[in-house]
Amino acid sequence: MTGEKVFRTEFSVKGREFSRAGDVSCRIKNLLKDIGIDAGTVRRLAIASFEAEMNVIMYARQAVISLAVSPDKVSIVIDDEGPGIPDIALAMKEGFSTATREMRELGFGAGMGLPNIRKNSDVFHLTSEPGRGTRLEITVRLDGSRP
Amino acid sequence: MTPAKRHAISVNLDKCTGCVHCLTACPTQAIRIRDGKARVIDRQCIDCGECIRHCPRDAIESHTTSFSDLQRFAYKVAIPATALYGQFGNSVLPYEILYALRKIGFDHVYDLSAICELYIAAVEEFLTEHAQPRPVIASTCPVVVRLIQRRFPTLSGLIVPFEPPREIGAKILRSTLPAALKLKPEDIGIIHITPCPAKLVSINHPATMKKSYLDGAVSIRDIYPPILDILRKKDDTAIMRHLFPDSSMSGLGIGWSISGGETRSLPKFRTVAVSGVQDTIHVLDQVESGLLRDVDYLECMVCPDGCVGGPLSIENRFLAKSRILHLAKKAGDKSVIDRSEIRTMYRENFLSFQHPVEPQPSAPLDADPAEAIRKAGLREKILQRLPGKNCGFCGAPDCATLADDIVRGLADIRNCPMTWKETP
Repeated sequence: MTGEKVFRTEFSVKGREFSRAGDVSCRIKNLLKDIGIDAGTVRRLAIASFEAEMNVIMYARQAVISLAVSPDKVSIVIDDEGPGIPDIALAMKEGFSTATREMRELGFGAGMGLPNIRKNSDVFHLTSEPGRGTRLEITVRLDGSRP
Repeated sequence: MTPAKRHAISVNLDKCTGCVHCLTACPTQAIRIRDGKARVIDRQCIDCGECIRHCPRDAIESHTTSFSDLQRFAYKVAIPATALYGQFGNSVLPYEILYALRKIGFDHVYDLSAICELYIAAVEEFLTEHAQPRPVIASTCPVVVRLIQRRFPTLSGLIVPFEPPREIGAKILRSTLPAALKLKPEDIGIIHITPCPAKLVSINHPATMKKSYLDGAVSIRDIYPPILDILRKKDDTAIMRHLFPDSSMSGLGIGWSISGGETRSLPKFRTVAVSGVQDTIHVLDQVESGLLRDVDYLECMVCPDGCVGGPLSIENRFLAKSRILHLAKKAGDKSVIDRSEIRTMYRENFLSFQHPVEPQPSAPLDADPAEAIRKAGLREKILQRLPGKNCGFCGAPDCATLADDIVRGLADIRNCPMTWKETP
């Protein structure tokens, strides 16, 4: 086999499946611990991947979450089919939220999700096609340096 | 009992039949069946006692302190967990139980309810002084502390940095008794009465200090019969009342052995109380994902319903809980401590850990990151070949754990009966 220096795996997440909220980010977290990534970095990625997973559950129809771990970085790509984000700059503002009353009652929708993901990643790349879906790529470097 | 032993539980190989009850019940996957017998992996065991609860043959033994171990002390003090108060009949009051301990041979018996109240008052000071980070996690259940060290190392810093009430009580006694009794400190034995084996581990291998203030822990299971014998005699009622007046018991501390006992005393804060080992793991997972940041104090007890559900208690936990609730209701919110004294103790760090809770993360798949990454991939491939029935026949609790053991070189895929038909 080639490419053994990178560990890749994929998870699928369904929209509205609140009963399974956190399952994928928990599995990602445990994988990272098994690979021996330091606790602080695991925590950042656990928070980022949980927020991203919740965004899929709250807004999208479904998504594929891909994880890639190499000795120098961890990348997570969340590719969803859903309404997309018409104004990314606005969505990135802290406190901005399109959450419904129901979501807020569940404790979500404080408008901190995307800013929190960006805060906990070294590379953050968000693209969207309204009506089709959203793609979020985040990377955390493992050499300890932060840009 | 040898103090060097890392854990307070072990398998009696004569009684163990190698069935899978404990294997699947273990929340940290610390048990394997090898050569037809259950084996505990020391590094992964957190002494929660789930295996004791689930073994149908009573083959998991707990090594708490025995009565004969106590004979080396000239003066013996008992500090019973408040869970003990719920173990006997509805008409049996705490002071009768404390007096029974005196009759059994303890020279002094110390009620913990007041210290429980003292602890939570100090927690209130701490929460007021430190607005961040959140949630602060209780330090009372020793299994939770061990679970956090091993499985949730990033949360180690969230544990409230105070020794639990049993240690604070023992520390107070240690600092006063030798002078008052004119005895050498080593002649005084301070013994906890415990509903779980984990307390003994926290005494022999404390997580946050060099040496515990306690000398041992006798299980409720062992001390129940002699207490019952004395209660049946029903004499000396007047002396008992004089020795242990109800007025010295704290209404706020007496309910500590049930889930929510701590949080009840923090009305000014947002609190959450969790009990049961699986639910505790679930909630700690959520904390690690960044949830519960709007919660000030998180009380976790790994036994179901709290310490009343301890694996070494006798009474079923529902009856025990009902009795404790009744006692707490009768005592109301009665406070027996002086708030200004607590503030002094808090300022003087009398309650504080000697050192922080150190994370003890589990071993990665390999020390070399590239090799760990390769093994993680290999593990997924092996898992796909396994049947996913989680039957336990291979000796591991489930297929994922077998795959993990294989890549770590601890097991062979041929251990799985369903892969026998595959050609290698």
